Amino acid sequence: MANKPRRNPKMDYSSVSKKEPKLKPGAKLWIRFSVAVLLVAFFVVMILTGAPGLGVAKVSEVKTGIDIRGGVSATLYPDVDDINEVTDDQLRIIKGILEQRIEAQGTFDYNMSPDYENKRLLLEIPYSGGGSTNPQKVIDDLGEMALLTFREVDPEQYVINEVTGAFEYLPTDMIAVEGYDIESAEAVYIENKPTIALTFTEEGAQKFSDVTKRLYPTKSPLAIYLDDQFISAPNVEGWINSGEAIIRGSFTVDEAIDIANKLQYGALPFAMAAKEINSITPTLGESALSVTLNAAIVALILVILFMLFRYRLPGVVASLGLIGLVASIIFWISAFNASITLPGIAGIILTIGMGVDANVIIYERIKEEIRRGIGLQEAIDIGFKRAFSTILDANVTTLITGGALYIVGSGPIKGFALTLIIGIIMSFFTALVVVKWLLKALASLKVFKSKWFYGVKKEVAK
Amino acid sequence: MIDMIGKRKYMFILSAALILIGVLFLLINGGFNWDIQFEGGTIIKIEMYDDSYEAVTVESDIENLIGKNVTVQKEKTFNPDDQSNSIALLSLKVAKDNTLTSEEINAVVDFLTLEYNVKAGTQPQIKSVEPFIGVELRNKALMAAGWAMLLIVIYVGIRFRVMSGVSAALFGIVALVHDALIMLSVYTVFNIPVNEVFVAAILTIIGYSMNDTIVIYDRIRENSALMHKADLETMVNTSVVQSLPRTINTLVTTLLTITTLFVFATIFNVESIRQFAFPLIIGLTSGSYSSIFIATPLWMVWRKYRIKKKILDAKV
Repeated sequence: MANKPRRNPKMDYSSVSKKEPKLKPGAKLWIRFSVAVLLVAFFVVMILTGAPGLGVAKVSEVKTGIDIRGGVSATLYPDVDDINEVTDDQLRIIKGILEQRIEAQGTFDYNMSPDYENKRLLLEIPYSGGGSTNPQKVIDDLGEMALLTFREVDPEQYVINEVTGAFEYLPTDMIAVEGYDIESAEAVYIENKPTIALTFTEEGAQKFSDVTKRLYPTKSPLAIYLDDQFISAPNVEGWINSGEAIIRGSFTVDEAIDIANKLQYGALPFAMAAKEINSITPTLGESALSVTLNAAIVALILVILFMLFRYRLPGVVASLGLIGLVASIIFWISAFNASITLPGIAGIILTIGMGVDANVIIYERIKEEIRRGIGLQEAIDIGFKRAFSTILDANVTTLITGGALYIVGSGPIKGFALTLIIGIIMSFFTALVVVKWLLKALASLKVFKSKWFYGVKKEVAK
Repeated sequence: MIDMIGKRKYMFILSAALILIGVLFLLINGGFNWDIQFEGGTIIKIEMYDDSYEAVTVESDIENLIGKNVTVQKEKTFNPDDQSNSIALLSLKVAKDNTLTSEEINAVVDFLTLEYNVKAGTQPQIKSVEPFIGVELRNKALMAAGWAMLLIVIYVGIRFRVMSGVSAALFGIVALVHDALIMLSVYTVFNIPVNEVFVAAILTIIGYSMNDTIVIYDRIRENSALMHKADLETMVNTSVVQSLPRTINTLVTTLLTITTLFVFATIFNVESIRQFAFPLIIGLTSGSYSSIFIATPLWMVWRKYRIKKKILDAKV
């Protein structure tokens, strides 16, 4: 406080009083009018051009849900007897492992969210096009890579793989080492050949030492399985007690990487199984998208025509507000990085119909007031004021149902709830701010004094 | 002024009759037709070059393959790339007790691709839900509807204290239940599968219908101050008639958009959208109807009874 220099009133420029030029009442109307027009223009331009800085994409590039672009959504459940024994930590570890596995297969555009309450993972993999990856197969491979085991096998018991021609030993019960005993596994080049380098945990090193000590004199195979699926069966060439080992074989680089990934990420505390699968083909999604988009455009035109016919000048204003409303919904969906889903578009279409409700309530009120013989500006003011509580109450109830839907709904339905919620909030704002400012300015013009413009019988207003 | 609430008895009877028809069909059908999403089961849809296959043959082939009963149907859908030709689909359904595992799904898809005329390079559409998840989803959806209704009662109760709020809210809820029952009746009569989309539609209608009722209540709240000399029935009727243009115009704009969606979805065979639009059309109509002919008159009848009772009590 003491350090704060005291201001000398005489030196204060602002104290030289200069009366602010008073805005003409008309000027205020037109400033607000311009702001309202700019707001609508802002949202429309934003969705037409996109604004990468704001994280807003062009309307044609807004992320679409897997129900449109195609893909797979699956719910993965722990394959255990008592689901209550699954801890959040375990779920988190599994999530991490599964993510690495998915990425190891070259799929990066996916979304995995844990549901700790219900002990499960929700996985969504969009179809990336080009036919390079098949999301359904990705989920299958996740299941395949369930439990990794190193087992002693009977060299006499094998089948020959019809495709690769390789010898595949039949799985036995003699499990020597398990997936979680492996600390790391990676594909490396040794002597110019793709090789897999393994590091075991302390416990794993002990187990591996025991089994190699037993097997190396006969150079027996120690086979690797994922569940009961045969992966590889390297022969034990020596007693390995360092906790580190390499697997040599005649595999390609890709095969080495693949096996290393399976060894590295094979250590799930328990298997996960997809109990709910929803796979949508891109073709069907696209076809539904084009139909709903056309329906949306036609619906918008029909509502605009209705509003113009029924309310004339306010109808024009409402239509402008409606275009701003639709643009703003798309803007916010994009800004929240949410996806447009088919039910979402249905939600937008519904909002086009319900979004004018606030306008209808206000305009009917204005009509009533005009009929009562009050001046135009006053009628508009009273109309907005009286309609406010009605619009507020009506919107809050819709918001409640929208919120409930958002909380319980799955992917596409969440999209619907989101558009509904954004639509309600934005229509509230559009009707009470944008439409009001536009209408009040326009109504101040002499040309628009006639009651005819407000859908009331032709007669000049006071 | 038109008498909107004088004929209320007939309207009550009409609603009761519609709901009764629904209950009747429910008994005939032996319960709702739950979609696999709420019950469990598997649906696989695969794009075919044409529909020159025999559904029955596919059924027996698949049964031999995985040992589970399946139903195969031929379907068609709109083709965005070639509007003159629709896409032929093979739709395979498995009931809840036989829900396919991920491996079985792949076995079926691989088999069909190998043996039948499946369009090359296309992805199958698969929906598979284990029964326990279906039941969980169903309960969750019902809970959501319950919570939404409870919150609305509380909100409306607080906002409409003048109208003796809680009773107003409760009759508003009666109207909502009415709308939900009408929608369910239509579903049972036409045997449409009840799924998440349906729950979304019902919740939307709950919001819309309450919205509609509130606009009328709001008018009653306003008029009860302005017209305190008029008798209750006149005041309520005036309020309904005054808010009628709004009710009708909003119904028109909303129906206009959803009907457009429904017509497009029907013409171009987009089943998922059609399933969404149809219950909304029924619900929107029922929502506006119930606000005028169910919630408001019921509230008025109750109010009349209370006033009468008060006078009687005072006399005693």
